[in-house]
Amino acid sequence: MKIGLEIHFQVKGRKLFCSCPGQEDRSNLGTFERRLTVVSGENQDRDLAAIEEAMKGRVFQYIISENSCLVEMDEEPPHLPGEETLSAAILAAMMLDCKIVDNIHFMRKIVVDGSNTSGFQRTGIVGLSGKFTHGGKSVGIATVTLEEEACRKIAEEKGRVTYSLDRLGIPLIEISTEPDISSPREAREVAEAIGLTLRRGRMIRREVSSIRQDLNISLNGGNRVEIKGVQSLSQIEKVLEGEIERQNSLVSIANLLRKRGKQEKIVPLDFTEGDLFSGSALISNSRGEGKRIFCFRLPHLRGLLRSGNFRLGSEIAERLRAQGIGGLIHSDELPNYGISQEEKESLFSRLKCGEDDAFGIIAVRDEEVDKAMGIIERRVAQAYEGVPAETRAATENGTRFMRPLPGSSRMYPETDIPVIEVNEKFTEKIRREMPAGVEERIEQLVSLGIPAQEAAASVRKEYDDILEEFTREFNNPKLCARFLSTVFSTEERDVEAARYIMRRMAMGNIPLDSVEPLYIQREFSLPDGRKIIFEREGMRLLLEEGGEKREIGNDFRYSTMSIEDLEAIIDKVVMENSQVVRERGENSFKLLMGKVMKEARGQFSGRDISALLKKKIDSFIRKGGS
Amino acid sequence: MEIEGTFLTKDSRVTVIKLKNGYNLSLNNLSIESMALISKHSERAGKIGGIEGKGKTVHLIGTGGTIASYVDYETGAVKPLTTAQEMLYAHPALAEIANIDADIALNIFSEDMKIGDWVEIARKIYDKIGDGEGAVITHGTDTLSYTSSAISFLIENPSAPIVFTASQRSSDRPSSDAYLNLLGAVKVAQTRLSKVAIVMHSSVGDDRLEIISGVRARKMHTSRRDAFRSINTSSLGFIDRNMEIHWNDYSEIGNEAMKLYEKMDERVALIYYHPGMGEEEIHRMLENKNGAIIMGTGLGHISNALIPVIGEYVSRGMIVGMTSQCLYGTVNMQVYSTGRNLLRAGVIPLGDMLPEVAFTKLSFLLGNFDHDTARRMIAVNLRGEMSERRRE
Repeated sequence: MKIGLEIHFQVKGRKLFCSCPGQEDRSNLGTFERRLTVVSGENQDRDLAAIEEAMKGRVFQYIISENSCLVEMDEEPPHLPGEETLSAAILAAMMLDCKIVDNIHFMRKIVVDGSNTSGFQRTGIVGLSGKFTHGGKSVGIATVTLEEEACRKIAEEKGRVTYSLDRLGIPLIEISTEPDISSPREAREVAEAIGLTLRRGRMIRREVSSIRQDLNISLNGGNRVEIKGVQSLSQIEKVLEGEIERQNSLVSIANLLRKRGKQEKIVPLDFTEGDLFSGSALISNSRGEGKRIFCFRLPHLRGLLRSGNFRLGSEIAERLRAQGIGGLIHSDELPNYGISQEEKESLFSRLKCGEDDAFGIIAVRDEEVDKAMGIIERRVAQAYEGVPAETRAATENGTRFMRPLPGSSRMYPETDIPVIEVNEKFTEKIRREMPAGVEERIEQLVSLGIPAQEAAASVRKEYDDILEEFTREFNNPKLCARFLSTVFSTEERDVEAARYIMRRMAMGNIPLDSVEPLYIQREFSLPDGRKIIFEREGMRLLLEEGGEKREIGNDFRYSTMSIEDLEAIIDKVVMENSQVVRERGENSFKLLMGKVMKEARGQFSGRDISALLKKKIDSFIRKGGS
Repeated sequence: MEIEGTFLTKDSRVTVIKLKNGYNLSLNNLSIESMALISKHSERAGKIGGIEGKGKTVHLIGTGGTIASYVDYETGAVKPLTTAQEMLYAHPALAEIANIDADIALNIFSEDMKIGDWVEIARKIYDKIGDGEGAVITHGTDTLSYTSSAISFLIENPSAPIVFTASQRSSDRPSSDAYLNLLGAVKVAQTRLSKVAIVMHSSVGDDRLEIISGVRARKMHTSRRDAFRSINTSSLGFIDRNMEIHWNDYSEIGNEAMKLYEKMDERVALIYYHPGMGEEEIHRMLENKNGAIIMGTGLGHISNALIPVIGEYVSRGMIVGMTSQCLYGTVNMQVYSTGRNLLRAGVIPLGDMLPEVAFTKLSFLLGNFDHDTARRMIAVNLRGEMSERRRE
């Protein structure tokens, strides 16, 4: 089993070929309509995949968003990519140990499903021949490319697709691995690890939709199948397992078919005017729409269209649907759809079906018959070969047919953008600023006293720099780690508010255990009933006491006790436990601390209490325990 | 590191290789240690041949420009197609509505067009449409309205429609406007329209084409599909999404004999007046010229200080016409004293004629008529290039 990944990351900042902001934008400033036409590629042969799409003859409607301009409308030539975007892509390639190209050469990859107003996606190789090590295994990185994101699809109806221009042109970094991965689980792990590594570069947009995977899979030297649009890491395994099952069953079908006999011509017979199908609403409706009913023998296919793991029937049907032709009813699924067992038997005999022959029924317009039969014959021919090379879309737990696999002929040079020279000075500057790897970074944080689990989470969620900064400022790694992990798991990640609360705590204005409640609930009740309120808008703290509010100043102490009161408590505890102190000396601290805390909790910070207590024990011992 | 691919080109700095996945890789020559031949690339046999069409014959005449361009691998730039058959191959849908007779008149970027080229194109069109079948001329957009107006003047009473079209997006891309524009132009060429027309997109969408008079069109945007606008008059008509023509202003071919004029005077100046323009500049531009069109400010003005200089040239026989930089609206030299001074100096007001059209018209008149006739006719409407009423 050979699996390769294509991981796409949306890059922060402006769009790739214009200065519009790269973000999702639901505004609608108007629409326009376009059609696309397939043109000759570089070597005069038209790309199969492109034609397949064009055959659908669709009209594309585009919604103009606030964050789009004439470039996205394909009404103005592209501008040069921004320097920050280029460095992000080069950095990504470097982090994956790629050789950086001398020149970035943008190409046009023909895509005529309307998702790009131009009819192509612009893409350029930035790095190649890299490697990524994961769990002791090395996965080759074939290429790292910089490309433009497509439009966001809004709606699709017959002959018409509506897209929004908001997403079009957001820069994408595409990482293509070699087919070095050998299990669905490993595929998920590698995808996750590459994502984690790139997050260290701080170039990936934060939105959930900003990462997307395509998968390539082939079994035992069979054809390659490309699976598009896997949205989450957890979906990778499910989709691959579903696809493996499908491919295995296709291989079994091919073996059986070759034993049963050669492919034969499929001849459609017109059954529109006949005695059959009177009980089928499905067929009556089609007749009502002016469609004709054709039945045909499917030589050697009995039991292969639908039985057990075999699903050749739906493989054929999804191809018909991709071309806008209804679907296929076949003998393996009958009786059903109001077609009786008797009618099934009758068709077997009227179509002169042999023992291993099946039959199919389609409802099409007169002019569509040849096209439909062509599609069916081609798919049956492929069934003798095993797994067809094709592009499929990821579904919940499997895949569905999209189009044949595109060839390289759909690429030709983007003539509106000059070749961009990548000079050594530029790459060296990026190399110098290359961040530490994931493991190295976690180690750095752990060495500051941050618990390993929180350190890893901070790297994953990209707040490790803030965590380090907090830890250095407030000198309390555990608290900082816990607090920030709470902050970064909320919807609103307001680092400034978090910093403000921490600062006031460090100044002794508020108790330690009020930090999280103040950030989340914006209030905290002191043991004596007074309430501290955090006003995030004005960034200030208020004290509510007896129905009145006043601002908490920098010299405020939340304690109602004076420091003298605390001293009195400590003195009292030391005296009451003088025997223990004399016997155990400094080791009595823990016991005494507990007793003091019982009376002073919430009034002073633990640190202040422990410092004072240590001092008192110390002086008690020095005085000889009296 | 070893790279396998198809060798495309090499210049003094880089070597371009096409990888198996279709990407081009430009390697700095200095970073290449050695190259070895794996196998030779064999060209696929061209499938280009004559295309049999259905419907009324239309003569397709290529002059170059974006509409008839392809990718040049040597420079990576867009270059014009070299044969008409190649163009037909790139536009197979044309065969569904017309029998296309394709020919190449020129193969240049429209910015490289010369005045002599207009005569050559006119001659070609004249020869083709003698049989009563219309012509579609593909052209670059940059100087399209110069050519369309020149042809309007050079061919009097055309015996079939003469339709220009172009594209703002090259035809090597799926989103090109070339396909629809060409289809629309062929449709118009199959009518009995007695005028030179331009057919281009009406809007940024692919749902409507505008049919604009060849003497009223102007490119008003550097890159949009709907760059061409009909100035100071409504368009001749439009073509809807079902390729049906709707006319606003249709005049049918009559019985008058078609006449070809074969000369253009190249000694005509087109002057864009700007504040601070000095006498010396005027002298440099008008030296050795037989005529000049001024693009004045507002209603048709230039600095009063320059009027005596212009008057000097007029009194020596030069024909000087006044148009406006505003493009929209007519010149009117009676409103301000500057205008009246210009009139006294012998400058001819040219109404709502576009400056470029006035330029080709004067070149046409000086090339084919005597001086007095030319002076008289420059301000007379010949092909619909000017009008008395404006509603916008």
